[in-house]
Amino acid sequence: MTLNGLAFGSLLLLLAAGLSVIFGLMDVLNLAHGSFYMFGAYSALVVLQVTGSFWLALVLAPLLLALIGAAMEVLFFRRLYRRGHLLQVLLTFGFSLVFVDLVRWRFGPQTQHFPTPTGLAGVIPLAGFEFPVYRAFVIGAAVVVGAALLLAWRRLPVGAILRAGVADKEMVGLLGIDLNLVFTLTFAFGAALAGLAGVVAGPYLATYPGMDENVLILALVVVVIGGLGSVEGAVVGALLVGLANTFGAFYRQDLAVAIVFAAMAVVLLVRPRGLFGLHA
Amino acid sequence: MTRLAAALAGFLFLASMSFWAPPFWISIGTQALIFAIFAMSIDLLLGYCGLPSFGHAAFYGAGAFACAYFALHQVSGLFPLLGLGCFVAGAIAIPIGALSLRARGVYFLMLTLAFGMMLWGYAQQSPRSFLGGSDGLIGVERPPLDAIAWLDRSLWDLAGVDVRLPAARHFFNTVLLVAAAVFALLSLLVASPFGRTLDGIRENEHRMLALGTPTYRYQLAAFAVAAALAGVAGALATLFNGFANPGELYWTNSGLVLIAAIVGGTRSLLGPAVGAFLVLVVQDALSSLSDRWPLVLGALFIGFVLLLPGGLSSLARTATSVIPRR
Amino acid sequence: MRIRAERLGVRFDAVQALHGVNLDVSSGERRAVIGPNGAGKTTLFNAITGELRPSEGKVWLDSLDVSGLPAWRRARMGLARTFQRSTLFSDLSAAENLAQAVRARERSQWRFWPGRERALRAEVAERLELAGLADRAHRPARTLSHGEQRALEIEIALTARARALMLDEPMAGLSGAERAAAVVRLRSLPPEVTLLVVEHDLDAVFTLAERVTVLDQGLVIADGSGAEVREDARVQEVYLGAR
Repeated sequence: MTLNGLAFGSLLLLLAAGLSVIFGLMDVLNLAHGSFYMFGAYSALVVLQVTGSFWLALVLAPLLLALIGAAMEVLFFRRLYRRGHLLQVLLTFGFSLVFVDLVRWRFGPQTQHFPTPTGLAGVIPLAGFEFPVYRAFVIGAAVVVGAALLLAWRRLPVGAILRAGVADKEMVGLLGIDLNLVFTLTFAFGAALAGLAGVVAGPYLATYPGMDENVLILALVVVVIGGLGSVEGAVVGALLVGLANTFGAFYRQDLAVAIVFAAMAVVLLVRPRGLFGLHA
Repeated sequence: MTRLAAALAGFLFLASMSFWAPPFWISIGTQALIFAIFAMSIDLLLGYCGLPSFGHAAFYGAGAFACAYFALHQVSGLFPLLGLGCFVAGAIAIPIGALSLRARGVYFLMLTLAFGMMLWGYAQQSPRSFLGGSDGLIGVERPPLDAIAWLDRSLWDLAGVDVRLPAARHFFNTVLLVAAAVFALLSLLVASPFGRTLDGIRENEHRMLALGTPTYRYQLAAFAVAAALAGVAGALATLFNGFANPGELYWTNSGLVLIAAIVGGTRSLLGPAVGAFLVLVVQDALSSLSDRWPLVLGALFIGFVLLLPGGLSSLARTATSVIPRR
Repeated sequence: MRIRAERLGVRFDAVQALHGVNLDVSSGERRAVIGPNGAGKTTLFNAITGELRPSEGKVWLDSLDVSGLPAWRRARMGLARTFQRSTLFSDLSAAENLAQAVRARERSQWRFWPGRERALRAEVAERLELAGLADRAHRPARTLSHGEQRALEIEIALTARARALMLDEPMAGLSGAERAAAVVRLRSLPPEVTLLVVEHDLDAVFTLAERVTVLDQGLVIADGSGAEVREDARVQEVYLGAR
């Protein structure tokens, strides 16, 4: 069960990492992030149906999302940076409604069957129980991506730029770095990660038009617990939330959500900036 | 002044509806009025206090469940039921507000979201005998609205018309009166010294503190009042629907009322009320016309943000800006 | 009101902004705090008013140790202040800004009925006149000129009818005429009100203040009458080239 929690947490990590940096850097609250996740799952489905290759879907879906994300940033978000969170909430809520309905229109409201890719099917016998290979893959994928993200965040110049931007946007701009480009790329990357999460989630969780809601809210919790604008925070937060949710669900399904939120409330009250957050 | 005139005009128009409107519109109108009360209550927090609460649906739900519970336990009469809904919601809001108000901005938003969802979780998991678990409480009967029926009859008698309205229309008028009362109450509140103090806290909390104002208390009071009014809306919803359901506490409801307030234009009371009407009418009316109503609603929101970020009330403000304001 | 700071120390992570600062301003005294930029003057103010929690030391208002009290409680004891950067209710009108200050003073904020507030309006009108803002009364505060905003800032502090008034660079950015007006306004303070002013404008300082405390890099380097401080070698050294 711990492993299940890890698997779920891995998924959350992919979602939350992008969201956290976007929020930390650009101060944008993107309620449509969940629909990026949904798009990822559905576009992977399409790729699968057309080409039959899961691995191709794994590559193409995030790319598609990156494009969508970049387009959204340039066309819509640019205007809203100075306007405060309320309008962002309205805009992204509107987009999520539109996106979910578009998917519902094209694919229908039913849950789609997302076949487990051959090669990742089956179970691993582990210390007395069987663990699905696919879930191990999910954890593995998240570990790889997470490690890469942490590495980039801490060691590479791009990470430094983003970290600096989270701390002080204006200074970074004054240093001659093209903020617009950074923003667009960050947003696109965050969207791509969400899309990747969607692809990965396909065989693991249900694929249906409303899949964005529950996951989005948990991703937000992860971001807040971990601290806005911190990748380490997203990692730790995702682990905690993933485990809490899975353990909670074992006892009582909906209580799981309540437990997760209670955990967030506790963290916020004790440490208002989140575990690793920078902003006050 | 023009705001008052607009509100009065709206009220009179709605009051006449019970006479001529077809049943479908009465039904939608009742729901829209309930949602408008809910939206006005959050305007107090969002527009006047500058506090974006993302868990307001929990108080609506608390009021809804309180009303349902007591109605099923031998409490009858409109005012007692509404009063209980109001009181329970307000009481629950105090500890939640006390904790949430230790934060501001996004963190306040997330804390209120957290508490809202915790209450939802509880409602879903509650013992069947208490709050009905995930099915909620059903079988609530509308209390007899004798006073309203009498009022209706008397008014039409004055016009020389003998009219017997079906009960649903009496209920519509009841909700309309409650909505008008809430509007009046909030209007007085925000114009009072207490309301002005909230203005000051919103505009510059730091300055207010330096002037010796314990801002926390005022915000907590406003939080409780807003919650209590949301509870009234929830109680009315229970009486309208005949049931109370945990889904009413889910975060998307909190989001929807925020959206309605923003679309209508915050800090105007009337704006969120109109926004509520718009959102609900589009949702209900459109959903019966086409399955694609979320698309339209979403596109509407996007359009608003890009074209009319101040909400509908900003449209009204520019229209009346030729009139010098004092 | 007597203001006393005892071995006050404030640390921001690695930076020690104040170091063992002792300050004793007697009731009704006119004291100026001067020093180069970054000396810790505003930090000292913030520690006294309660915006900041010092890492060491205590603050006393009259005979009460207020070190643990939040800012609003200290304000209620009769302490009013202005800020280095005008801290106004930017979207409210100048008149409403002053009204907020009056309401705060009168503790009439828990009234739920919109009364006429006649007495309040009268006082606001009078103060607008005194601050020279009568013709700008109903425009949002952020549309006022810098000098007008500073005048409003000072007037808000005066509205509190405080027992101690702390002004952080009230003359910053003001023209000669505006400075003169401000000095006149401040001179009208009742003698029992303590006045503590941070200022760079040394002319105003030596006009208003009886005693001057000089800070440099978080330490008090001189404390005495205007004349004494002007002669002090260390003070001259610190200000060499800065005047």
